[in-house]
Amino acid sequence: MSNQGKIDILTRVEGHGRVELVRKGRRIIDARLNLHESPRLFEALLLGRRFDEVAEIACRICSICSTVHKVAALQAIEQALDVRISRQTDLLRQLAVQGGQIESHALHIFCLALPDYLGVGGFPALASVAPLALQQGLEIKALGNLIQETVGGRAIHPFNLLPGGLGAVPGAERLQFLTDRLSAIRDSITATTAFLSSLDEALPELPALGSCAVSGGPPLFGDHLTTSSGLKIASNLAAAWLNECDQNHSHAKASRFDGKSIFMVGPLARLNLSMPCEYEKLLGGVSIKFSMKARTIELQQAVEQAMALIAQLLDNGLVKETPAAIIPGAGEGIALVEAPRGVLLHSYRFDERGICRAANIITPTAINQAAIETSLRSLIPLINDSGYEHIKLSCERLIRCFDPCISCAVH
Amino acid sequence: MKRLRLAIAGLTACSGCQLSILNCEAELPQLLEVVEFHYFPMACSPAALEGEYDAALVEGCLSMPHEKVLLLSLRERSRLLISIGTCAVWGGVAALKNGENRKELLQAVYGHNRKCSDSYSPQPVHSFVRVDAVISGCPPEKEELLRLLTGLLRGALPVPISYPVCTDCRMRENLCLLTEQSRLCLGPLTLGGCGARCPSMGVACEGCRGPVPEANLDEALHTFQQKGYDRQTVFDRLGRFSPEWKP
Repeated sequence: MSNQGKIDILTRVEGHGRVELVRKGRRIIDARLNLHESPRLFEALLLGRRFDEVAEIACRICSICSTVHKVAALQAIEQALDVRISRQTDLLRQLAVQGGQIESHALHIFCLALPDYLGVGGFPALASVAPLALQQGLEIKALGNLIQETVGGRAIHPFNLLPGGLGAVPGAERLQFLTDRLSAIRDSITATTAFLSSLDEALPELPALGSCAVSGGPPLFGDHLTTSSGLKIASNLAAAWLNECDQNHSHAKASRFDGKSIFMVGPLARLNLSMPCEYEKLLGGVSIKFSMKARTIELQQAVEQAMALIAQLLDNGLVKETPAAIIPGAGEGIALVEAPRGVLLHSYRFDERGICRAANIITPTAINQAAIETSLRSLIPLINDSGYEHIKLSCERLIRCFDPCISCAVH
Repeated sequence: MKRLRLAIAGLTACSGCQLSILNCEAELPQLLEVVEFHYFPMACSPAALEGEYDAALVEGCLSMPHEKVLLLSLRERSRLLISIGTCAVWGGVAALKNGENRKELLQAVYGHNRKCSDSYSPQPVHSFVRVDAVISGCPPEKEELLRLLTGLLRGALPVPISYPVCTDCRMRENLCLLTEQSRLCLGPLTLGGCGARCPSMGVACEGCRGPVPEANLDEALHTFQQKGYDRQTVFDRLGRFSPEWKP
């Protein structure tokens, strides 16, 4: 007789999901990820809206990733309508995306994942078992938000990023302030990284998964996907290659790729594909259990890159400029950007009046579903004798390694 | 002081209102001394409703049957229930095509495989249960959430806002984007309290906090028309966050 056990609600992840553990007798024989988040149907909501409304609406897909959704949507819109943006706008958008990366990684590391390593239920308990780490983590997180707010006007749903440019260009003194804060926080990140590296990885080593990431542009940006199997997929072919299909047990579509291979996206995948040598010995390995380490490395990288972007902006001198004028017209655009959780694709088609006629958004967690399920299936035989409660905890912990963002996945 | 026992739940939404609580980074350690985040699945394990709550904060609108079950349970267990954010208060972005056939919208995304066939047009929280207070905004301002929590600790509910974004704009001595620059700024019709975030950076108000009470719609439509925006365009924009606006 097979019956099902469920991890009813996945906690310390963004959005609503559960894991269904299929039991046969006393053993678990299968695991399915069920993202039962209520769909808002963004791809349908966007149809019929004008080009200058699309990014504003699309960024509401997710709060943690709203800046990167906004930037990806803007890039796709600008490509479709043949709009050129200034170098300054480009750098400021990159800075906002790095700010989002800092905020999201700090949230995950210090509030959502760290409780797993210290055997507590959430950030409130961290205040007593690791108050210093929590406080430092919150400071880093706040700085990521401050960067997003400085450029985007607001940490969540940044309104200042517009098609063709920015509403108001931040002043040099505000960017200088960010740099001062970033350089002040670098030491605290190094200290917390050392603390995090000293923590035991409780999950067993699972077989490495294939990796996929955006490349061909500045950090986190690009015009094609690369994979650990050596593939290079241009942006206009990316949606077809990712091959999103419906699946019965989840409200999110999932990538099937070619039907045989499975790829993961996110921090570990990005580092697998391009590891800066100065961080190499910090990672430990390519198994998913090292995802927390990958995130701490990326946190440091994001701080460095944000500082480099600000230095470049200050060197060039900030100029007041208004967004480029846009003439609505027919066209199609596709943008690939690395969101904190991995590859994000926005693609739109507009008619001659600039009205959106087709929208396709592929998010990291939607892509990662196959990788998550595969990892669950490799994990279960290794822990099958350890009791149901432990299996449940380990599964949940494994899923958190992917830092799923379920609002994004279902949208 | 007795700690405030809270349940924080997200329904159909982006988690931005819950994230806004976690974005109170400077205040969180202090908050933990006076607030018990008992049910808060986004940030705390395990997630099980248990006993009674001083207050439930609900983010998001309702669009599927299981959400109503959770909402009713939250209402039963909580002395106060507070809608947080525009989706919970008005329906929000998810409701922007509530006038259209839900089945067709589902088909546009999922094709013909009848997925989520029990999904219905998103509705605000007050359509299902009594709501004791609301905080609007997409997302709400951090300060509003902190004021809410500190007020609740002292047994007070937030004072409802009754002025439009224009009042915030005047306080900040901004140039009027509507009258001076003929931009489609929804400030006159939109609930204030945001400090006119967007107009202060030269970006027209998109109405993310929903309608202001006693909005003078006729007068605003007249002004918009003078600036070259027809009714349909204005209502399309207004409908982005609140299906209550109907031509």
